[in-house]
Amino acid sequence: MSSQRDRTDRVDSLVATTGEALEEGKYPLAIMNDEAIYEAERRRIFARSWVFVGHVSEFEEPGDYARRYIGEDPFIIIRDEDGDLHAFLDSCMHRGAQFCTAESGNTSHFRCPYHGWTYRNDGTLQGAPHMAEAYTELETDDVTLEEATLESYQGLLFARVVDEGPSLEAYLGDFTWYLDVLFGLTEKGMTVVGEPHRWEGAHDWKTSSESFAGDSYHVLTTHQAGLETSLGKGPWEEIEDFPEASYLACTDRHSGGYYLVDDETTFMGYPEAVTENLNPALSDEQRELAGRSVFHNGTVFPNMSYIHGIQSAGWGGPWLSIRVWQPRGPGQVEVINWWLIPKELEDDEAFKRESHRGWESLSPGGAFEADDLVVWSGISDSTKSVMLEENETLGNIQLGMGDMSEGVDITDDPLHGPADVTTKGLYFDERHSRTWYGAWHQMMAEHGGT
Amino acid sequence: MDAQPPRPENAVDSDLQHRIEQFLYYEASLLDRFAMDEWLSLLSDDLILKVPIRSDRGPGSDRPTFSDESYYLHDDAEMLTERVDKLSKEYAWSENPRSRVRHHIGNVRVSDRGDGEYDVWNTQFVYRSQGDSADYKLLSAQRKTTLRESPTGFTIVDRTVYLDHSVLPTKNLTLPLL
Repeated sequence: MSSQRDRTDRVDSLVATTGEALEEGKYPLAIMNDEAIYEAERRRIFARSWVFVGHVSEFEEPGDYARRYIGEDPFIIIRDEDGDLHAFLDSCMHRGAQFCTAESGNTSHFRCPYHGWTYRNDGTLQGAPHMAEAYTELETDDVTLEEATLESYQGLLFARVVDEGPSLEAYLGDFTWYLDVLFGLTEKGMTVVGEPHRWEGAHDWKTSSESFAGDSYHVLTTHQAGLETSLGKGPWEEIEDFPEASYLACTDRHSGGYYLVDDETTFMGYPEAVTENLNPALSDEQRELAGRSVFHNGTVFPNMSYIHGIQSAGWGGPWLSIRVWQPRGPGQVEVINWWLIPKELEDDEAFKRESHRGWESLSPGGAFEADDLVVWSGISDSTKSVMLEENETLGNIQLGMGDMSEGVDITDDPLHGPADVTTKGLYFDERHSRTWYGAWHQMMAEHGGT
Repeated sequence: MDAQPPRPENAVDSDLQHRIEQFLYYEASLLDRFAMDEWLSLLSDDLILKVPIRSDRGPGSDRPTFSDESYYLHDDAEMLTERVDKLSKEYAWSENPRSRVRHHIGNVRVSDRGDGEYDVWNTQFVYRSQGDSADYKLLSAQRKTTLRESPTGFTIVDRTVYLDHSVLPTKNLTLPLL
């Protein structure tokens, strides 16, 4: 049994190794599926990042709430009677008991099942049994639920446990330009339909978060069977050379990739209800990028990913899927997977049937993702090997580095927005991985010793 | 869930009950051994296989437990054929290595819809293990199946799988597990 001090030293040593290895496009495989690293991630990353907790369309009415997690901390996202959104820790201020008993719903109050302390949906204490005689000197105004700071951007809700560091908008930085295109495409914005998928995966949250940030190179191998089983391809038919049509955009922390065609009226295969209601706040470049888009995927650090577009090989869409890679212990994850459509299309049942089919490719039952999940769990199984730790074995994320990969060049075309964008990037540039692990390293090093 | 299983006093006769149970056992054996082409041959062309998302609701909630908008699977016969085709490929990593699957079927209740069609409810445990490991997962569910009988046997014309999980305990959901 190692002491806390030993564990912290071990973590700090692995973090330092990561920093050095990243300079040559590598990272120590021992950081995957490791208990000490995991406990440090909960404190150094999840408690201090803006973590995605839901979409504003899930909380339209006062009292609408949903259970969500930041790291492994259970939160309740709720809209109060004044219309303000909150992220409360699901833990009574009396003795710490959990009081939210459903995944989502609507309520004006929460009553703790232990001794009955009761809270309004703005987090203030309303009362307790026998209040007048039991608590003659309790200052009830001082009792409010623990609350994480909540901010939103383009309908995306993010919360932060330790309220230090940049505002949400500053944290998202230049990546807001791409989020505008993807989540603010139409005037009314996106809306969640139905309930999210939830399932347990046996992989490290880092693996999928980083992969979704911009890895199309794996598609050729992992999804060979899916690609061979082609249905009607739609806009993908216009793409002759997949790497050539792909781009990778990386900012300081966040990355996304996309496939473009020349036709500026493509709009990911969306019908006229979208193209006739484009958000006037989009710039000409943002509008052109949206118009030429077939498919986008990306990750907002640390653990929110998205897919927006029409799925390759004709497996459905267009659809927008947001997913959270919810840590559930070392090498374990729960995936939460939302389906969103432009609000303008929410009553179009025919569109929704086609859009829902996007999940036939990317979901636990999806023809593509079902394969990812097996590969990712194999990483979790093997990277806990002592040998990788003893040999300080480094994984390789050198695609697109220096002169490594042909045709991977930074483009200065303003169409691609403010990020550093590479041609052929979604295929042959692992800059998304270097960016992701760079952000991971920065937070793990900056908050070292905890 | 819309229609409910019949009360005991309305149970169908034992011969029909027997034939339907034998069909379900046979179908389960096809899934257990990945005889997916034979399984496809039991489906009607207009079938929709649905696996609705289940949510954890508070008592008295007016929101549905099973979503009528979002599903783990919502596949017509054409899509199911594509899935079977995909599963047959060497590089379908979701089932390479193949899962060890066993259906345990019980509580079979039948309601006669008339015109040779029957609504059939059954509960099931589906055991799944995979790869070089003793670990396994259990998927618990109630299925509602509509069967049509003809001189050549039963055909599955509709099916919904109501999972007993609001968070799936398994990393992926492939057809033999349903």
